[in-house]
Amino acid sequence: MKHPVLANRVRLIAWWLAWLFLGLGQAILFYYTYGGYVIVSIPDTLLSLLIFSVITLALWYPFSYFNLENMRPLSLMLDLVAGGAVTVILWILLTKGIMMLILPGNTTYQAYWDATFPYRVGTGAFFYMLVILTYYLFISLTNLSEKKAKEARLESLVKETELKMLRSQINPHFLFNSLNSVSSLTITDPEKARDMVIKLSEFMRYALSKKDEQPVSLRSELENLRLYLEIEKVRFGDRLSTEENIDENCLETKMPVMLLQPLYENAIKHGVYESTQSVSIKTQVRIADGHVEITISNNYDTAPSSRRGTGTGLENVARRLELFYGSRASIKTTKENGIYTVSLFIPAEV
Amino acid sequence: MDTGGNQIKPALHIPGNFLKMEKIRTLIIDDETPAREIIRHYLAELDYIEVIAECADGFSGLKTISTMKPDLVFLDIQMPRLTGIEMLEVMTEKPEIIFITAYDQYAIKAFELNAVDYLLKPFPKRRFLEAVKKATDKIRSGTENSVPPDQLLAKKPELSAPVNRVVVRKGNAISLIPVEQIRYLEAQDDYVMIYHSNGKALKQQTMKFYEDNLPPADFVRIHRSYIVRVREINRIEPYGKENHIAILHTGDKLPVSRTGYQHLKEELNF
Repeated sequence: MKHPVLANRVRLIAWWLAWLFLGLGQAILFYYTYGGYVIVSIPDTLLSLLIFSVITLALWYPFSYFNLENMRPLSLMLDLVAGGAVTVILWILLTKGIMMLILPGNTTYQAYWDATFPYRVGTGAFFYMLVILTYYLFISLTNLSEKKAKEARLESLVKETELKMLRSQINPHFLFNSLNSVSSLTITDPEKARDMVIKLSEFMRYALSKKDEQPVSLRSELENLRLYLEIEKVRFGDRLSTEENIDENCLETKMPVMLLQPLYENAIKHGVYESTQSVSIKTQVRIADGHVEITISNNYDTAPSSRRGTGTGLENVARRLELFYGSRASIKTTKENGIYTVSLFIPAEV
Repeated sequence: MDTGGNQIKPALHIPGNFLKMEKIRTLIIDDETPAREIIRHYLAELDYIEVIAECADGFSGLKTISTMKPDLVFLDIQMPRLTGIEMLEVMTEKPEIIFITAYDQYAIKAFELNAVDYLLKPFPKRRFLEAVKKATDKIRSGTENSVPPDQLLAKKPELSAPVNRVVVRKGNAISLIPVEQIRYLEAQDDYVMIYHSNGKALKQQTMKFYEDNLPPADFVRIHRSYIVRVREINRIEPYGKENHIAILHTGDKLPVSRTGYQHLKEELNF
């Protein structure tokens, strides 16, 4: 830990002013108690405070090594009292010695010294405690703010990790089913197989390369989702169709990477997987109240599905929105007349 | 219930061969066209196999099985209208089944349902032919099922989402009971009687399955032989020294065992 006074010029000035104030107090105290020693008391006061100030400045170094939290109270007390005794004795000896050098054989000073001696010890102990308390306070405050900073760092780390965890993992069944289609197409339609492999590679490259949480443009998100849907169209043929209605002005809007992926996966899973009818996935992007509104809708078979949805995909998207945008983004879903709709509202930030 | 519609005629015709034995009449059920195509392609090389039809969903698959009575069925699991597993649960005919799916978590269930083999998509041709050979041997000689591969059984069944529907058969009719309509279940030997808002239905299944797979927040097992929807319970009264009975809103009375009472206590916080 840095020296609380020497490391900062403003604090150094405040430190000396405080000592000047204390010195003045001591001088006035001595004057009213004993009177008459004005001539000797002025240099004596200045000198003694100068010495005390230097000693206590140096005192920081041993003191800052005390581990206040781990020490037993009793040994801490003993250390502090011993430190105080050494400080006061050193201070008295130095002051007396130097004053005797400045005013050799001065009987007035000798008399003044004798009269003020007990008070010197008292004020010395008092000043010592004042300085120690100041240091103590400083250490506590510093520890507190460091703790806070550490907590904040930790929190942002946790948030970052969570964001990474929430990044949609590519559904392995999508991959295996697509590869099965490729396997089949190599026999029936090699050209199409090659096309599928390339699309799958492009899609996977995008999904795997964006490791960090650097925002991407809506344009690149939509391009990648088109790849995804085209791959699914190879699997499902006429059972899947797509429609787009996109306001070009929104394309540069920044958003978390692969944010929309789980929503399209849901549309496939709850729409196409469960229906023998053709399912149409519609994407609409527009500006609404200063926000970009992204709406994805699909028709679905209203008969109950085999298993309940877990809601994980939707939950993850909502949580990512919250972590990334705070309260500035929102998501809502509706089910009406066999149409499932999910709408995202994100800030129109480029 | 409508079961018509989605049967697909085989595009590839298998030429007749003078074989001593009859051909194995085979049905392919998968909702994805490329997935059906590769199976058909591999089978075309085997002159003792005849693909009699293809289906793209569970209902038409089930209907085709009962009308055409195939010897062998290649069956996908995730399909519209009925999953492959649900089809097997209500099938009265028992052709040999080879599951072909991208999902590995149903393997144990599939072998429990006596499937010949379980292939994971995408599959190598060698592995496919192996499965066909197993099925052929079984059909020709009536040998027992082979032991399922270890790596499939080593995989613990994943904690899957609760079931959302129960498929039952009444005569020739197949119907779906949405879980939200189920009031309570009663064990009857190897069967479970499902009491729902439109009547009751018998299903070959274990109580344990329903205890594990119904939405846990909605259902409580109150007795060795009873699982009840919590919302259906009107009140619980003591019965005898240690037992209780649950009285439903409809007036039905169900026994509550001591453990069942504990389960209820936990669920309802009383």
